[in-house]
This record gives sequence, structure tokens and C-alpha cells, in this order.
Amino acid sequence: MNLGFQLHRRMERSLRTDILVPVVSVLAALVAGAVFLAVEGYDPVAVYRALVEASFTTWFGITDSLAAASPLILTGLAAALTFRMKLFNIGAEGQLYLGAIGASWAGLALAAELPRPLAAVVMLLVGAAAGALWILPAAVFRAWLGTSEIITTLMLTFVGLFLMRYLIFGGASFWRDPLATNFPQGRRILPEIRFDTFGTTRVHWGLVIGVVAVVVVWVLIRFTRVGFDMKVVGSSPAAARYAGIPVRRTIMTSLLLSGALAGIAGAAEVGGRAFALDPNGLQLGLGFTGIVVAALGRYNAWGVLIVALMLGGLRNAGTALQSVSGERVPEEVSQMLQGAILLFATGGEVFLRHKLVRRRKGAALEPAPAATPAEVAA
Amino acid sequence: MTTVAAGAATGPAIEARRITKRFPDVVANESVDFAVERGEVHALLGENGAGKSTLAAVLSGLYEPDDGDILIGGEHVHLRNPREGLAHGVGMVHQHFRLVERFSVAENVALGDLGQPIRLPRHEVEQQVTEVSERYGLPVDPRACIADLSVGQRQRVEIVKLLHRGATILLLDEPTAVLTPQEVEALFATVRGMAAGGASIVFISHKLAEVMEVSDRVTVLRDGRVTGEVRCADTDQRELARMMVGRPVELLASRATGADRSDPGDVALLAEEVVLERGGIRVLDGIDLCVRPGEIVGVAGVAGNGQRELAEVLAGIEEPTSGSVTVNGKTLGGHGPSHARRLGLAFVPEDRLGTGLVPDMDMVDNQMLTRERRFFLDRRSARREVEEAIAEFEIKTPGPGSDTRVLSGGNAQKALLARELGRQPGRRVVIVASPTRGLDIGATELVRFLLHRVREDGGAVVLISEDLDEVRSLADRMMVLYQGRIRLEGDPDQLPIEDIGLAMAGVGP
Amino acid sequence: MNDTALVLTIAAAVGAAIPIALAALGELLAERSGVLNLGIEGMMLVGAVTAFLVGDGTGNLWLALVIGMAAAACLALVHAFLSVTLRANQIVSGLALVIFGTGLATFIGKPIEGRPLATDLHRVRIGALADIPVLGPVLFRQDPIVYATVALAAAIAFYLNKTRPGLSLRAVGESPATADSTGLDVARTRYVHVLAGGALAGAGGAYLILAQVPSWSQAGTTSGLGWIALALVVFGSWNPWRVLFGALLFGLARRANFFLQDAGVSVPAEILSMLPYALTIIVLVVWGSRDLRRRVGAPASLGLAFARDER
Repeated sequence: MNLGFQLHRRMERSLRTDILVPVVSVLAALVAGAVFLAVEGYDPVAVYRALVEASFTTWFGITDSLAAASPLILTGLAAALTFRMKLFNIGAEGQLYLGAIGASWAGLALAAELPRPLAAVVMLLVGAAAGALWILPAAVFRAWLGTSEIITTLMLTFVGLFLMRYLIFGGASFWRDPLATNFPQGRRILPEIRFDTFGTTRVHWGLVIGVVAVVVVWVLIRFTRVGFDMKVVGSSPAAARYAGIPVRRTIMTSLLLSGALAGIAGAAEVGGRAFALDPNGLQLGLGFTGIVVAALGRYNAWGVLIVALMLGGLRNAGTALQSVSGERVPEEVSQMLQGAILLFATGGEVFLRHKLVRRRKGAALEPAPAATPAEVAA
Repeated sequence: MTTVAAGAATGPAIEARRITKRFPDVVANESVDFAVERGEVHALLGENGAGKSTLAAVLSGLYEPDDGDILIGGEHVHLRNPREGLAHGVGMVHQHFRLVERFSVAENVALGDLGQPIRLPRHEVEQQVTEVSERYGLPVDPRACIADLSVGQRQRVEIVKLLHRGATILLLDEPTAVLTPQEVEALFATVRGMAAGGASIVFISHKLAEVMEVSDRVTVLRDGRVTGEVRCADTDQRELARMMVGRPVELLASRATGADRSDPGDVALLAEEVVLERGGIRVLDGIDLCVRPGEIVGVAGVAGNGQRELAEVLAGIEEPTSGSVTVNGKTLGGHGPSHARRLGLAFVPEDRLGTGLVPDMDMVDNQMLTRERRFFLDRRSARREVEEAIAEFEIKTPGPGSDTRVLSGGNAQKALLARELGRQPGRRVVIVASPTRGLDIGATELVRFLLHRVREDGGAVVLISEDLDEVRSLADRMMVLYQGRIRLEGDPDQLPIEDIGLAMAGVGP
Repeated sequence: MNDTALVLTIAAAVGAAIPIALAALGELLAERSGVLNLGIEGMMLVGAVTAFLVGDGTGNLWLALVIGMAAAACLALVHAFLSVTLRANQIVSGLALVIFGTGLATFIGKPIEGRPLATDLHRVRIGALADIPVLGPVLFRQDPIVYATVALAAAIAFYLNKTRPGLSLRAVGESPATADSTGLDVARTRYVHVLAGGALAGAGGAYLILAQVPSWSQAGTTSGLGWIALALVVFGSWNPWRVLFGALLFGLARRANFFLQDAGVSVPAEILSMLPYALTIIVLVVWGSRDLRRRVGAPASLGLAFARDER
């Protein structure tokens, strides 16, 4: 298919394109979103203004955005950690559910016997372990049999989703609220062990945990052998073998870490916001949105933090939009915009690695450098 | 060796006039003139990177030239893709075969053939394949799955594919590189047969002896330009070599004398009864190898006979199923390549960019690849080493912080050798696989110099290569690997070339 | 003989299998060309909501089906552009499609949330065959799209294995470099099949709204069927007949509780819902771990972008 231009690999990357490309992607997505809004009869400018006002201008708007961002930081890190080594854990959603299941079990079962700060730590640890456990089969199959982790992690997500629903709707479940008669609900953990919030806001310790995780992941990737090994295994498994880097162990490490991060996200949601298992999946899509966050943040820990704060605002605005008088904009606008931003960013990412070169006449078949392939080993 | 043209003598079958082809960083062909007669075997001779494959790609329609004309049967043609080339009777067999592994031979032959009806007549295609293969003496089973075929068989499928499509001008790109001497003989017989039948064959090679043996005429390329066109009958290898490299060369580089070898009782690398099984097959079958300090041992053989596995076992990457490998008196014992390196072993793999170096990482991180592994990385000393290597070996790079993928083959090899040979002195054991493949003369000479230096410093070198000439010119002692066994061992100067060829094909004692 | 609960369950399972089968056959085409499109769920939703709007507005269900397919194909075009032309990460692009498609469908479906569609696809009784006990209700009292889907699976199987374009398609998915060298247009082949895949996902979504579920709702219309379709392609190991069979099996799992309740067996619905996903993992591991991989495994270049890189 001859489109009259070609992609040439950039020899070196510049900071300018690193920043310019995501910004342009977001702007382009907003323009595309505006077109849809206009077609549906809304005033795009008013909607965007309401969106910004709802999330980024008032104290409660900002703090609510921060609260919405905290799980995204963790699921974003979970995705970034594996995607950067060309492993694709797209099941953070399911690992998050399991983290929530584990944490609420810990909260319900152990709360009475533990002092308060310790209870929170135990909930987080159990959540992390449950998240890691949920990715374990996918990790083992990938490391030893070469089974595509893309499909297995995705499938496990839905198994996890139905497991959580079963625990809520199933009659005798330990997690089910025995007092909720008309509609089944998860049993709430005791107020004493819920995470502290900051002042009157909804921001809880989950945000701090997220920021700490950013620093830990950044140090791990940039300055330690663990991150170095991941990079080598991801870029070139043959080189890893040659250098004596344990390929399987590195694959396992990164996938399990990723699962644990997503599990912590679920645990923090239970500890700080939901306090119980939620029949609709905690807040649907936190895990999948993490992939958006990671991709937009260029699979870099600090990038993840910045993008998570931004998308947290967008998600928060979705709910806030409905209460904005005048426009009555459905909250799904924010999801549509998220999708559009991701699509444009995915396209834009290519221009970080490649230059667009107009095809000269009579040179239609110049060799284009191979794109970095997304590894799928099914 | 001349053949009689079958068709009417109305000028060349295919002719290139003043072809120029540029790539972003290099001019691959510059005003190249090239013509092939009907019924002629015409060799295109040149070193790696001389522009042979590019010219062939232009002739076959894979690349469009930036300038110049192509004439087929005297008529100007404009080939936009290989399909149009094939429509004009031009077909190319690439070095890397273009076959779908999961398909049968017949399916591969039918692939892309617009002459076939929409509903593929499987049996007819199979019959056609059989006919073509019988007519040209290229035995293949049309129903066999490509994945089950040997390299030589796959090459036959490629040729059958083109003949079936009606190609009368065949471009063979380095067709002998992967074949045993006996398979080469069979190929040459086929080539001569096809030429006698009126086809035109372009035989691309850098091997002088083969060119002299099979072709009628030779066009020599150097740095993208034609440096000569002669009839084989009127020339000799020495003259061709001069045209190829631009100066008179010694055909067999002289070996340094082995006078400074150390005590013959001393052993640097010892492999005993090494067996490696994979999927129930013995890919290495009882290898005994002993290398002394100050010695280069060459391992020759056709690709796929256990060379890679041997290199990996010796380097500690692969643990042998049975048997043992000892480096400087200490056993590797399955502790992995890091342990082997601590014992003084260095391994320069054949695949530089992808195994030896990680293309997506910068030179500094690549320097750390085979260094001692601590939890926190030490980039500072790695950067210092890289800067020293860039200065010492004149590595052309934008800087230590640039990805190794931007390095040319020669510079990548220099960076790799600097890392692997530049570590602590002492009694080293170096394993190198095809160290000069794809390199220009300058880089090749540097590699040879470095290997000699290791040897003179009392190091031991195992040179594993498919390039027989390289093994014979560099090694003090050589052996031939065939199906995981050592078939022949001796002094390269004493062993008759016929015996070596037979051993490479698994024939003989 | 009366139609027992079992027969009714199976008949319902056939209907439930169709949207999954359509979407999965579409994904099979895309994956056979080497493009993984995780966006089925988004494309199905957009197909469903568009079909509803058109069906509601015009009363013409066939037009609704066609427009629904076209709308989903538009989303697929975005994926094709990103993954084939721009050579972007197919996984991220596919997930973006789900997020965007779900948001878009909910957004434009907001005014019709919960509203039922006035008309329905009519069932076609195939003459006397419809009166055969057991087989009648299961096989011969379905609507036209059911028959069309079976025909489609047959057509795709024929196309893949017996025709020249099918051979080209497989070659593009297995080894694009080889296909390219024989003069095939890899990018065009991939575009065509990704678009066809999108259209079929749209058809699956449209069928849901036109024949299966009573009203439009984002959460209820597809309820994850797109993901099941994705699983199904793996489960059916890229073979149209096995995919169709798998769709029936998964359809049965979705409808089995009717029968099980009737039979006095209580299996929680959630556990049944897990089955397709869990089975897919098992199948994937089994296929992958045997020597079978060479013959029935994923197309060798699945998920890999292609660019000429020789020189």
C-alpha cells in the first residue's frame, strides 16, 4: 500500500520529540473528541471547560483527581514494568481484583488481632501476594513453555472477575455482606483499619504508596542489575543467554512484580476507598487504564506518575461532569477521550522512533528499517 | 567450459546500463554496466558490501534504481517489484530463502503465481513441480513440508519455484555459502544444465575458485563500481582477486610461525567426550578438543553441523549432556557463562548485533553485559572502558551513549572484541565464531591481528568458522565438524583439500 | 415428543453462539494475516449501538446490520492504520480500541439506554425439517443469520485452504517477507482482513441487538463477548470449523444454567462463566507445549509489524 511516505528510524532520540509527541497526541485526541461532541450536539468548549474546572481548579477537584490517580499509578507501573521488556501483562485488571480479594480477606479476618498500622501493612502484603499469585500461571507458562502471556493474563482477568462476583453473589461467601438483603454487596472492613485520609479530602495512603512505588521502580530499572537484566532479556534474549543472565528468572521476576503492583493497587482501593469487594469490579477498568497510562508515559516510571495524575483528573471529571449544570454531559465522554488519547498516543509513539520521510519519485522501494516488533509467542 | 547459446544471438538476455542505487548512508551501485548473454553463466564477483546483492535486487525488480536503464531481450523495462521482474523472466534466489516453513513445496511454488486459477488445483501444481524438478534434475518432493527439508533441498525448491514461473534469467545470490562441497558440485551441474538449455545464470559469489569453475564470464564489483569484466578462460584467480580488492593480494595469508608456542604439556582448554542431546538427537557426539596456550585451533564445517552448539558448550552457555569442559585447569561444571568468564574465557559469537551486543542499548550498557554483576550498576568505569576502546580501535560512533544498532558491522565487531579481549590480561581462552564474516578488508585484518596478538601473548584461540579459507589461513591446527563429530584433524598445510571437502560432507574415514 | 429443557437449552445455545462465532471468525481472518486485534469488544459495541440506532430509525433490520458492520469496520481501519502503516504496538492499539469503542458506544447510546427495539429478526422454519424432534428446534428453526454464520465458516475454510488468495493470506501471516518477495502486497492484505474482521465483529454486535438481547445497554449488550471471541480464536487454533464448534460450546456454557436448574443441579453462574476463559488457557498451553505447534499454532508472524529491511 503506497501512501507516498515512509518511516525511517531515528538514529538518536531527542528530549524535544519525547515531550512534543505525547503533547501533540493529547491535543489531537481532544480535537477528535471535540468533533464527536459537536456531532452529538454538545458544545465542546463548554464540556472541556467544565472538565478542567471539575478536576483541576477547586481544592476538592484536585484532591479527588489525586485520589482517582493513585490506583492508576500502580497499575501503570505494573504495565510499564513488563511492556518495556516486551512482555505484555495485560491482565493487571484481574490481578487488581485478586489484590482486592486478598486484602479484604485480610482486613476481615485479621483486623481484630492486629494493631492498626500493622493491619494496613498486612492487607497490602496479602494483596500483593494475591496479585502475584494470579499472574503466576501465566508467568510459569511463559517462562517454561513459551505460551503467550498476552492471552493467558487476559483470560485470567475474566476468571478473576467472575471469581470476585462469585464471592459477592455466592450465598455463603466469607466476603459477602450478610446484612445486604436487597442487593448483594461485599462485607466492609472495620473502620478502625481503613487507611487514613488526608484532612477532609478523599486522598488516602494509596497515593503515597503509589509515589513510593514510582521511586522504587525507577531505581530498580535505572540503577540495578535487576532492571539491567530485564532490559537485556526484553531487547535480546540471545544476548541475555550469552551474557549468563537467567532469562526465565528475569521473566518470572518482572511478571510477578507486575502482578504484585496491580495487587497492591487493589488492596489500596479496598483499604482506602471501597472498603469492600465491589460487585461491578472495583471501579471497572483501572487495570486496563493502567496500560494507557504506561503507554502514554513511555513506559517510564516518572512518565507513569505524570500521566496517571492527568488521567486521574479525566476519570474524576467524568463523574463530576454529570453534576455540572447546563450541559448534562454523560460521563462516558471521559472514557471516550481516554480511548482517543491512547489511540493517538499509540500512533504518535511511532514518531518517537521514526521520522516521516516523503517518498522520492522513483525510489519507492527504499529499504525501511525494521520496526521493533511486538513479540507474540503463541 | 563454454556453453552454446540455444536462442538466436540477438544481444544480451538482460542488460544493465549505468545503474546507480543510493541508500541513505551509502552509494551501493554507481553507474554499473552489466550484461548477461543467453545460455551464459555470468559471475558477479566482489567482496561483502561491494554492491553485488544490490545490483541483483535491482535486476530482479526488488529495488528501483535511482538512475540507469534495464534492458531485457533488448527492450527497456521498468521493474517496480519482483513480480514484474518475474513476468519478464527474471527470478532471484536470495541468500535467505523466501519460503513459508509451514507450507508444502507445492504451496510455496503456487504462492504469488497469478497464473494459477482462483481455486488452486493442488494436484496439478504438484504434478507441475514434479515435471520441472525432473526436467532440470532438481529432485524435490512437492508434498514435503519446508520445515522438514535440508538447506540444500530448500535451495532446490527456490530454483524450482522460479523455473515453474517461467524464469529464464536466474540470479543466484551466494548460493554455495550454505552447501557442502558435494552439494555445490550438484548445484554447479544443475547450473550448467540450465545454461545449456538456454537459460542465463547470474552467479553471485566472493569465492574465486567457484567463480572460475562454474562461470563463462565474470564481472567484478568493488565499492559499487565495476572494476573489470573478463572471460574466465582469459584470466586466473590472482587477477580476479586483484580486481576484487584493488591491490595484489597474497591468496593465503601467511601464518606467523608457531615458534613461540609454550610447553606442549600445558593445556588451556580441554573438552573431553562432550555430548549434547537436543530432542533426543546428539548434536554434539563425543567431542574431544585440546587447545594449548599460544595456539589457534580452527573448526571448519558446513553450517548446522554443531558449530554453534560447540561454541556454546565451550563458552559455558550450554551444559553438555555428558562429558566435561575445563578452562585453565578448572571445570566449567554447568555454572554458566559468568563462571566461565571468571576462569579466563572469552566468547565472541557469530551474531554480533543481537547476541554479542544488544542493539537497543547504548555502548556503555553493552560494555557491562559481560562484566562482573553487582546489584548496583557501575556505569562510570564502563564508560571509561568504552571511551578507551573507541580511541584505541578507531571505532566510528556518535559517542559512547549511542545505541549499538547504529554501528556498522566492522565497528560493532571492534566494540565487541574490545570488550571481550580487553579485560584483565593473563592466560586467556578465546572462542570466536565466524569473526570476519561480512567485514571489509580493513576490519578483517584487524580481527586477524587481534587473534594473532592473543596467541602471541600466550592465549589459546578456538576459531569456529564456515569459511574454510579463513580456517586454513589462520589456524595452527584444524578439524572438521560433521554432524556433531570431529571427522578430520590435522595441520591445515598438510591436509589435502579434497579430504577436507569429503570430511565436511561426512564422507571418508 | 415435547421439547425438553435440554433441547431448548441447546437451541438457545446455538443462538448465543452466533455473535461470538461471527466476531471470532472475523478475528481469525485478521490474525491469519498477522494482525492481532484485541479491540473486538469495542467494535462489537459500536456495531451494536449503530445497528440499534439505524434499526430504530428506519425499521429496516438488514440495513441496520450493514451499517453496524460498516461502523465497526471504521474502528478496525484505525487499528489497521496504526498497526500496519505506522507499525505501532498492536496490543496497545487494540486495547485503545476497546476503551475508545466502549466510551463511544455508551456516549452515543446514552439516549437509548434501556430502550427495546420494536422489531426482531424472524426465525426461519426449514420446511418439514423443522418438525424433526430435537434436531428441528436446534438446527432448523433459527433465524437467517444463524445459517449465514455456518455458511461463512464453510466459506472461510474453503477460502483459506483451497484458494489462491487464501494461500496468499496465510503466507502474509506466516512470513510476510516471503509473501512480499513473491510480489504480494502485505499491507493491503492486512488492511483487507483487519477490515473484514472488524465488519464481522460489527455483525456480531448487531446480531446481539437485533436478535438476542431485548434492549441496548453498554454493560449488558456484549457483557464481555468480545473477549470470549478473542479466546475462541486461540481455542479453535485459527481453524474456522474448530472456531465454530468452540462457539457452540461456549454458547452452551452461557445457556447451560437453564438446563442445569431444570435438572436440579446448581452450579453457580459465575463458575460457568469462567469456563471459556479457563478452557482457553488450557488449550493454549496444550497446543503450545506439544510438537503440534508447527502445524496448528498461531500464525508465525502474529503481532509483528512488517517492513522491508533488506539491503
